[in-house]
Amino acid sequence: MLEMLGLYPQWYVPGIGTAWVMGIIGTIHVLASHTSVGAAWLFALLAQKSVSENKPEIMLYLKKYGMFLLVFSYIIGSITGPGIWYSVTVASPRGISGLIHNFVWLWASEWVFFFVEVIGVYAMVYLIGKIDNKTYLKLAWSFALASWATMILIVPILSFMMWPGNDQWYSTGSTFDAAFNLNYFAHLGIRTAFMFAVAGAVGGIIAATLKDRETRIEITRFLSKMGLAGMFLMLVMFMWYTATLPENARLIMETQMMPKYGSTLGALLLATLVYFIFTAWKPMYLRQGVAVVMTLAIGLFGLWPEERSRESMRKPYVAGQYIYSNQFFSRDVPGKGVVSDMPLIEAKGVLATNYFVPEELRKITPENQLRAGEVLTKIMCANCHSVESDGALRPLPPLFGHSDEPKMIQAYLDGALYHGKIPYMPRMPLPEDERAAMALYIASLSGYTPPAVAVSQATHSSSAKGVN
Amino acid sequence: MDVASTAAMLHTLQDPTGIPSHPLIFQVLMVFTWVPHILFVNISLGAALMGLYAFTKRHDPHWQKLSEAMTKVAKVGVSLLVVLGVAPLLFTQTIYDPQWYASNLLSASWVIGFIFTLTIGYLAWFTFYLKNHGDHAPGWIFWLGVFGLAMFFLDGFIMHVLAYQGLHPEKWVEWYTPDGHVDMSGNSVHAYELVRWGFFMAMSVTVFGAFLIAYGDYFKVRADRGPAYLAFARKLGSQIAFVGAVAQVVLLLGWMLDVPAALKIWTHPMSWLLLIYLGVLVAAFAVARGSDTQGQGYKLLTLSIGMAGLVAIFREVLRMAYMAPFNYSVLDYKVLWDVPSFVLFLLTIVGVGGLMGGFIITLVYKAGRVSGVYQADATVSRLGVGSVAATALWVAGFMAVGIWIWLSNNG
Repeated sequence: MLEMLGLYPQWYVPGIGTAWVMGIIGTIHVLASHTSVGAAWLFALLAQKSVSENKPEIMLYLKKYGMFLLVFSYIIGSITGPGIWYSVTVASPRGISGLIHNFVWLWASEWVFFFVEVIGVYAMVYLIGKIDNKTYLKLAWSFALASWATMILIVPILSFMMWPGNDQWYSTGSTFDAAFNLNYFAHLGIRTAFMFAVAGAVGGIIAATLKDRETRIEITRFLSKMGLAGMFLMLVMFMWYTATLPENARLIMETQMMPKYGSTLGALLLATLVYFIFTAWKPMYLRQGVAVVMTLAIGLFGLWPEERSRESMRKPYVAGQYIYSNQFFSRDVPGKGVVSDMPLIEAKGVLATNYFVPEELRKITPENQLRAGEVLTKIMCANCHSVESDGALRPLPPLFGHSDEPKMIQAYLDGALYHGKIPYMPRMPLPEDERAAMALYIASLSGYTPPAVAVSQATHSSSAKGVN
Repeated sequence: MDVASTAAMLHTLQDPTGIPSHPLIFQVLMVFTWVPHILFVNISLGAALMGLYAFTKRHDPHWQKLSEAMTKVAKVGVSLLVVLGVAPLLFTQTIYDPQWYASNLLSASWVIGFIFTLTIGYLAWFTFYLKNHGDHAPGWIFWLGVFGLAMFFLDGFIMHVLAYQGLHPEKWVEWYTPDGHVDMSGNSVHAYELVRWGFFMAMSVTVFGAFLIAYGDYFKVRADRGPAYLAFARKLGSQIAFVGAVAQVVLLLGWMLDVPAALKIWTHPMSWLLLIYLGVLVAAFAVARGSDTQGQGYKLLTLSIGMAGLVAIFREVLRMAYMAPFNYSVLDYKVLWDVPSFVLFLLTIVGVGGLMGGFIITLVYKAGRVSGVYQADATVSRLGVGSVAATALWVAGFMAVGIWIWLSNNG
């Protein structure tokens, strides 16, 4: 058994929690990066069309689209990419660390593609009309393939976060066993399809401004067909994707995500299909404002629910079904020599085994019980729950019915949570005194005043120290 | 926290998953992938400052041209430095994970602030770039550029803080729990070392100066860039680089004085090697300052790149010295070899990086030196075919291996 836990300091964001911070940055990034990959293919396909059909006006469109690609997808995508990484670093340090230590060579390979993609994007835009066509096509196809390769390389990591899908990786620890998990190809299929759909919508923002009627019709129809193909492929891949999910994810999807986001996603799907069919039928009716609204709608009503759902459906895990969302290792991974944190927590608790706990809180007393409870609650719960009643991230007080009875709350901690009986919640086998402290603190969020604090307040102005 | 407890904490915080190759491989990659990153940081900061300064003197055609060019250099430079920063950060998080994560968590709000300030700073700079054309560029855009540059400086400072806080694990618990009060806000900056920060700023002056001389040489074959303008840029570059190199020597001495004496950095050969090299650099730029540097640009830039390589090694030597009292050596990291993924990386960097990267860089270099349409020569043409083939083969190979493993494990 371990001696101490490898927990880092906690970052607590009041109201929205760290999960929303990740979600916001993630949504912006996914919209930008998928647009950029889709646009890379659009570039290659249209450049090929321009050269083989001798239509130089299409190159003019690309020149215009390229600048937009730079501003919108590339700049935002390239900054928010590390941005996701940074936000995960401070929201889920052991989660991202586990992923990095498993996939470092995949990530390093992705960096190679990322680098050539970035210098490629400048070359693609600035060299239009400045180099011969044959060389430009070589550049365009290399760029499109390299862009897709960045997706091919990041999806193994994202899908492993959901689960390995079999027991192989736990015993071998092999990066490829983790990468080519059960969920991988279906997940890659969805994202590939989405990149075509979103590039179809974003491309319309510039296509709508083209002056030449023939070119405008041709390109708008091209975009619409690409968008429709993407949507169709996405639906097929989604069905496969759901079949490759673990049981806990399917349960959360059916009971929580679909009731919450199902109608929004359905309406968006319908609207997007109507949009692409209409713009294919009447390309000259496409207005720039409509294309902007469509793109934003995909981001707000499509990606945000998708990002939130993916995060929720992984619960109670954050990676590989061995790291809980609250950063504890839930099980042994013999192939990597990882040992579960659960026996240590059960034997000694979290306060005594965490380096980042003040000395005076390591042992719970009536005087420090409330403060200890606060620290424990934030360590154990804050990755998924706000402690504020009106918090946006599944706030704790309403989940306990705003109960101010510590015993009632502790009954839940003693039973279902202690034994890990809630499919989407981490197991929390804490010692009795730590569960009591947590229950006391959670009750205090709904108005309960612990006796020790009440006495202290009555006798003198308390200097009780809390947690920011 | 005492030394023994800190040492135990650091080892507990190391990821139990271990690393998939020898730590020395990661350490070398971490040090040398940092070199291109810092060079682009240096060039971007220098170019942005010059872009703004030259903008205030834009009534002069040379300064106007320089302002436009340097604004563009900073625009491209920042985007490249972001991408180039990914690799050293990845390798840092692989072998110095306790230091990086703890430091980030202790100042988490600043970490997130970094993303947003970099984004808005870059968008501001991009707008400045879009408007900074011709001598009629509106004056108000200057402040947009100033805002962008201020954000870049702030972001550089945040990175400095995150790196520096990681060197003081003995203080982490104290910073996190001041007077027994747990601070989960991540709002505080706990430590910084201005003289170290100043050294990297001075390095920006040197590297940018050298870059400017090379810029003057690169465009000498272009008829649309007059020789007088290029001579102006080279002269300016050599003056700037000289000032930067002198400032670097002074600040390096200050930095070494600020490092705790117990780390014995004064007796380390790397410190002296860097000092001597900087002395050579000062001499080289002093000579350049007094003569026409035409044809010397690439040599002086290469000399500056060599300096960046030594700084990268010095920085790592220093980190090792800081960690030594806690018995933290990356060479002790648990290794569980994963050969297939390492081979994938090697094939990717050689095949795709070499062929596609080589193709694009050669193409951009050659096309940039031609005023009209560039017709690819045999080398570029072959590189182009190699680029498409290598990338397509990579995708096909990765998919084939993936399908085989997927079927074996899930079939």
